Amino acid sequence: MTSGRARPALTAWAFLAPYAVAVGLLIVLPGLLTLGYAFTDHTGLTRDPQFVGLANLRRLLSDEFLLDSVRASAFHLALAVPLRLLAAVGLGLLLAAPRPGGRWFRVAVYLPTVIPDVALAVLFLWVLNPLYGPLNQVLGLVGHPGFTWLSDPATARVAVALMLAFPIGEGFIVVLAARRMLDGRLYEAAVLEGCGPFGQLRRLTLPLLAPVLLLLAVRDTILTLQVNFVPAYILTDGRPANATLYLPVYIFDQAFEFSGFAYGALITTVLMVATAAVITALLLVVRRWRVLR
Amino acid sequence: MPVGERGAIRLESLTRRYGRVVALDEVDLEVRAGELLTLVGPSGSGKSTVLRLIAGLDRPDRGRILVDGQDVGRVPPHRRSVAMVFQDYALYPHLTVLDNLLFGLRVRRVPRDEARRRARAAADRLGIADLLDRYPDQTSGGQRQRVALARALLREPAVHLLDEPLASLDAPLRFATRAELLALHRDLGTTTVHVTHDQAEAMTLGDRVAVLDGGRVRQVGPPQQVYDEPADTFVAGFLGSPPMNLVPGSGVLGGTAGLILGVRPEDLALGADGPVEATVEAVEALGSETILLTRCADGTRLTVRTGPRPGVGTGERVRLRPDPARLHRFDAETGRRR
Repeated sequence: MTSGRARPALTAWAFLAPYAVAVGLLIVLPGLLTLGYAFTDHTGLTRDPQFVGLANLRRLLSDEFLLDSVRASAFHLALAVPLRLLAAVGLGLLLAAPRPGGRWFRVAVYLPTVIPDVALAVLFLWVLNPLYGPLNQVLGLVGHPGFTWLSDPATARVAVALMLAFPIGEGFIVVLAARRMLDGRLYEAAVLEGCGPFGQLRRLTLPLLAPVLLLLAVRDTILTLQVNFVPAYILTDGRPANATLYLPVYIFDQAFEFSGFAYGALITTVLMVATAAVITALLLVVRRWRVLR
Repeated sequence: MPVGERGAIRLESLTRRYGRVVALDEVDLEVRAGELLTLVGPSGSGKSTVLRLIAGLDRPDRGRILVDGQDVGRVPPHRRSVAMVFQDYALYPHLTVLDNLLFGLRVRRVPRDEARRRARAAADRLGIADLLDRYPDQTSGGQRQRVALARALLREPAVHLLDEPLASLDAPLRFATRAELLALHRDLGTTTVHVTHDQAEAMTLGDRVAVLDGGRVRQVGPPQQVYDEPADTFVAGFLGSPPMNLVPGSGVLGGTAGLILGVRPEDLALGADGPVEATVEAVEALGSETILLTRCADGTRLTVRTGPRPGVGTGERVRLRPDPARLHRFDAETGRRR
């Protein structure tokens, strides 16, 4: 009897093994090494890194650039995650219903996701150009003098978030698919009760999509804290006045240009802890507001 | 107007096409105030389309819908005084039973206490008061059906539309619920249009039954009358299980060419002096009755309904006597009753 039950479990483990090995080698091991390096003097070229105790941590606590970096990342998170979610959910719901030409709009929404980040960033260098960029020209149409987007700390942060509001393809597809799986009869029942389009959105669509939206919010939080590296590097290189010195940019600068792996590893650990903290807060709010049943 | 005097529905040459498919073709139908009308027909006959048009969930291509003499063509669904129970109930899965009941009241901004009082009253009436805190997926099929009914009651409509409300229930529960549904209708006195493809429901539930096929109304009348005097061969074959035996004229049931003769299985009696000779091909003993599937010398198949333990077996020869008073004659060309 025992062998009969043990065999399916063994089969399951056998199928999971390649994945488990990959996770171990590519994620867990580097993760542990990163944590370990954070307490050494490893520069990346050191042959025999020495344990230095809390020296790096002491340096971290008085690092003003790190404070700038955390501030930039927090601002970006607060702006980009809602913006990207709003865009993905809004467009997903708008384009879920079959309508003429719908597929072309869906392709248009997905397209920026296919473009490599670097290419998109270069494109945005042109879009945001204060002299001949289309964004300022559009603002000019409504009588606004426009911004010097990338040389002002506040607008530079907005510009990076704006650029990252375009590659939202995956979230868009997930919302589209989830909306299409909702039972049309629920909406008919609601229409009979006198529920208008906004009532249906508020009382049916959003609560029914809540699990999907939460998943997207968690995923986007993790992603947003990391993918701003490319735009920041190409658009602003962390400037002006450290306004876009996001954590990934600062980690790169420290690890490869200034201080070496050890200090970079410590800031990476900070980024991971911060991400975990934000997601925990998010889940607590969700539980508190009873978004999920 | 008091309940029972309102909710008279009149459909005038109602036509609805979906692309090239004609779902409803010039349907004229009248539902009297307070009546329970059953729409019955095979899949795709247009039954559900009639309900959706009355509810306002869909618009006709042609024709008018009058409720209490007023054309409701331009009236939005929630102003039509119509409540609908959907086939799989369409309960909101993210809301508890109580919140499902309160949904419409909240949309209509009924004051909180008043809404709760009415929801509880409806729940009491349908015996689901102890389920109010559960979610729909934590209740049984029968309970869900009651929640859907309670939700419909809360609209206090002039017309109830029921789309196959018993289809998802198992047989014993369906039997019990049928009786309850009927009692509820008698109690409320609301005009009710009920769609089913189940014959037993059609026969037992409605004051009148309308038989639909291919988007057309074939016959409307009290169930027994439709059963006794089917207007055409479709109705004759559709209502009744097993269906009526239909035999071309000048065959084993007599008559002349150009006719189709019909006889119900229960109107064929076994008897040594019967004029029709047949061989028993199969015996279906159902306990309280027996169905004999027989074949005559010319290949005509006749189904016979007889009492339990008829004492005949497969392969035996029997003689059958059709009840001359219960013989139906149809035109072979049009299928209409003659």
